Amino acid sequence: MIPRLLYLPASIGLALLVLPLAGLLFKVDWPRLPSLLLSPEALQPLGLSLATASVSTLLCLLFGVPLAVVIARSRPRVAGLLRALVTVPLVLPPLVGGIALLSLLGRGGVLGSTLELVGLRIPFTTAAVVLAQTFVALPFLVIAVEGALRTAGTRYERVAATLGAHRGTVFARITLPLVGPGLLAGTVLSFARALGEFGATALFAGNQAGVTRTMPLAIYTAFNGSGVTTDQAVALSLLLIAVAVIILVLVGTRRASVLS
Amino acid sequence: MTAALCQDAATAVLAANLQLTRGSFTLDVQLTLAPGEVLALLGPNGSGKSTVLDLLAGLATPDTGTVTLDGVTLTASGRLVAPENRTIGLLGQEPLLFPHLSARANVAFAFRVGGARLKTAEARVQADRWLDRVGLAGLGSSLPGALSGGQQQRVALARALAAGPRVLLLDEPMAALDAETAPFIRQLIREQLSETGTSAIIVTHDIVDAVVLAHRVAVLHHGALIDEGTTAAVLAAPQNPFVAALAGVNLVVGTAQNGGVVAPDGRTFWVRPADAAALSPTTPASAALGAEAAAAVFRPASVVVHTVQPRHASPRNVWSARVTGIEPGTGGVRLRTSGDPEIIAELTPAAVADLGLQVGLTVWLSVKATDVSAYRR
Repeated sequence: MIPRLLYLPASIGLALLVLPLAGLLFKVDWPRLPSLLLSPEALQPLGLSLATASVSTLLCLLFGVPLAVVIARSRPRVAGLLRALVTVPLVLPPLVGGIALLSLLGRGGVLGSTLELVGLRIPFTTAAVVLAQTFVALPFLVIAVEGALRTAGTRYERVAATLGAHRGTVFARITLPLVGPGLLAGTVLSFARALGEFGATALFAGNQAGVTRTMPLAIYTAFNGSGVTTDQAVALSLLLIAVAVIILVLVGTRRASVLS
Repeated sequence: MTAALCQDAATAVLAANLQLTRGSFTLDVQLTLAPGEVLALLGPNGSGKSTVLDLLAGLATPDTGTVTLDGVTLTASGRLVAPENRTIGLLGQEPLLFPHLSARANVAFAFRVGGARLKTAEARVQADRWLDRVGLAGLGSSLPGALSGGQQQRVALARALAAGPRVLLLDEPMAALDAETAPFIRQLIREQLSETGTSAIIVTHDIVDAVVLAHRVAVLHHGALIDEGTTAAVLAAPQNPFVAALAGVNLVVGTAQNGGVVAPDGRTFWVRPADAAALSPTTPASAALGAEAAAAVFRPASVVVHTVQPRHASPRNVWSARVTGIEPGTGGVRLRTSGDPEIIAELTPAAVADLGLQVGLTVWLSVKATDVSAYRR
C-alpha cells in the first residue's frame, strides 16, 4: 500500500542517482577505451588505489571491530560520547580531515615534529594515503559493526559464558559470527569509501604519480590537466564504477549463499 | 540455629545469601541446595525469581551477600568468580541456540568449553550421543531455525547438561512452549536431571513444574522467601494469595498403580487415559522397583458433590468424605472435605444452599477420570 503521490518524488530521486552515471556512458570514447584503460596512466593509479584501500580496510577491521565492541558494551552515557567522537570524521568535509591530519602529523605538527626527530616523515607518502583513507573509512565500519552488535545483544554471550566459554572464545566463536552480516556490510562500505577518498588524500598526501596518485586523484588530474582530454578522466571513472559494481555483486552473492 | 545453618551449608552443593536493592525493589534471600536436589522457586512476576538466578550464575552482582558452591566462595562483597568459571548452567525460557551453529555444533560447543574440555572430534561424537538422549537422533546437522520450539529446547537442555554443570538453573523452561510440547520437555528434564544427578533450581509459576520436577519448594514474594518446604506441605497451607491461587488445584501426591494414583489414605484416583499410560511401569526394571511416585491434579470445579451415594454414575472416581470447612473462594464457595490429602470442591452458593451442606455432614464426591491429569515424579 504505497500512496500514489510518492511515486513521483521516488522516480526523481532514482533519476538523480542513475542519470548522471548513464550520462557518463554516453561520453565514453568506446573505440579508444581499451587503450585508455591499459595505459600506465590508468593502471598505476588503479593498482595504488586497490592496494591502499585494501590496507586501509584491514586497518579499519583491526582497530574498528574492537572499538565497536567497546562502544556497544559500554554504559549508555559512555557509549553516546564515544559514538559522537567516531561520527565526527563522517560528517566532516574530507578536506577538513586532510588539514587536521596535516596539523597533527605535518611538518611542525604536534606529532609530526617529534616523528621528524626520529627520521619519520608521513605527509606526501603512500602511508599518508593509507592514513587519510583509514581516517574517513573507519567510522563506516565502526557504526555498522556497533549497530550489529547491539542488535545481537548479549544474550547469546551470556549463555556461552554459563556453558564455561572464556571471553576470547565467546568473542571468536559466538560474537563475531553473529555480527557477520554487519561486519561484511561495514567492510564493504569502508573499502568503497577508501577507494573513493579524494579530499583528505589530496591535502595530506599530495598528488605524486606512483606514490600518492590514487584513482580519484588521477581522474582529477586527467580532467584538469593541460593538454589531456577529458576522455581519460571518463575512462577512469568508468573503471572505478566497474570496480564498485564488481564488489557489490561479489558481496551480494556471498550474502545470498550465507542466508540460504 | 547458627550451628544448624552451618551444617546445612557444609553439606550443601550451593548456599547463597543475597541482598540487592534496585530502586524500590529489595531482594533478601537465603537458600541452600543439597546434592542431587531440585528446588522449585515459585513466585509471581516481579518477585525477583530471575534476579536470584542471575545472581547465582554470576551474571549480576548482589549489593551484599555470598554464594558458595561445594564450599568454594563464588561471590562475596562483589563477584569473585566469573560466570564461565562457576560450573553453574542456565536454561531459560528461550532456547537461545547459537543461530549460526547446527544442533550438533551447539551441543559440541558445550563439550569443548565446559567441564569436559573435549577435542573437536570427540565433542561431536558426544554431542550426537546427547541429541540421541533427548530424542533428536538424526537432526544433528539441522540449524536451529529449522527446528520447532520444542526441538530447540531439547537441544538447549542437552547443551546445558553437556557442559557438566554442578548446578543447573532453569528459568521457566516450559513457559514458551505450547501446551502439547511442554509435558514432554518437562518429563525429559525430570529424567535427565535424575540420570545425571544434577542439582537444580527451577524458577516457575506453574504448579505442575513444582510437582513433577522439584523435591522442595520455596516461595518468593516481593524479594523475600515467605515459605519453604515440600511441595505438598507448602500447597496444603498457602501463606499468601499467590500460593493460594497456585494451590487452587487439588493435588494428590502418592504412588502410581495400574494407571491410577494411590493417595496416602489409600484412595485411588483414576486419571485421564493419556496420562494413565505414563503411570504404568515403563520398563521391567522400574516395575521391579515397585510403586513409583506420582501426582494427580484436578480442579475443584471438576468435583461434583452428592448428598446420597450416586448409583449408575459415569465418573470412575467416587468416594465419601466429611465436610470439614465451607469458605468463600474465587469461583464460588469452596468446600473442604476430609481425607489425606483433603479434597476441595467448588460450588455455586445456590448449590450449597440447595444441598443443605454444612460442616460435619458426610457427602459423596465424584470426579471424571478425564478431568484428572497425572504426572510421574
